[in-house]
Amino acid sequence: MTSQSDQERSEAFDRYVVPELGVLYRVALTLTREPHEAEDLVQDTVIKAFRAMHQFDGAHPRAWLMTILRNTHINRNRRRRPGLLRDPEALDALVDQRSTQGVSAEETVLEGRFEAVVEAALQRLSSDHLRVILLVDVDGLTYQEAADVLAVPRGTVMSRLHRARARIRADLKTSGVTANVRGAQ
Amino acid sequence: MKLRNRSMSCRKVAKVLQGYLDGEVDGLTHDAVTAHLEMCRDCGLEADTYQAIKSALSVTGGRMVPVDPHVIERLRAFAAQVRDDDADSSAH
Repeated sequence: MTSQSDQERSEAFDRYVVPELGVLYRVALTLTREPHEAEDLVQDTVIKAFRAMHQFDGAHPRAWLMTILRNTHINRNRRRRPGLLRDPEALDALVDQRSTQGVSAEETVLEGRFEAVVEAALQRLSSDHLRVILLVDVDGLTYQEAADVLAVPRGTVMSRLHRARARIRADLKTSGVTANVRGAQ
Repeated sequence: MKLRNRSMSCRKVAKVLQGYLDGEVDGLTHDAVTAHLEMCRDCGLEADTYQAIKSALSVTGGRMVPVDPHVIERLRAFAAQVRDDDADSSAH
């Protein structure tokens, strides 16, 4: 028979960790760029979260999980590929891969030029800017959660995000493309 | 035409606009920005443009890092196994 604390731990695990699996995997993909590695990373994170469940006070579960994910990611890379974390071009492979796929003329017509220009601008962002965009605009993290994942201050997330979007905005202006918004010509 | 209303200037709105769109400002700031955007055409258009950029980024960025739904199913099964294995080991 399990003890009350074991039952409470299982219940807390179901309540706080299981609903975050999708976000954890998305963020792991953003960090690793490799599906199998991302899945392994989330599995390690899940195990560590379960073991540390009794230390968690129930406040901000996603931020807590992101911290575990980040530390697990750093430790895995330190063991396997020392030096990778210092690589400032860590996401370049992802950008290059996407660039080679290109955007077809049909896609441009179907999805609109606005989205095509945004996509092209996204591919030109630096890896730091791209990573923040992916964490906030795609993975849906808050500024603080993204800061926890990247181990940088919240203000750094804000400034990178704002600069990245401003760059995309400038590209749209240069291209003469406007969003289909109220009153826009 | 730029608008200066009594609660927030266009300049101040521009400063907090990204945080506003991301749901990262406090309630008072949120209400002040909302009120300003309803009255100021320039800032309203800017907010709409950045909102459209955010929406487009969500789509295009999602394509850069596609998620296989089967992986999420596997991770749910894995999590259940971690939880149940622990319960089994505690029971013996």
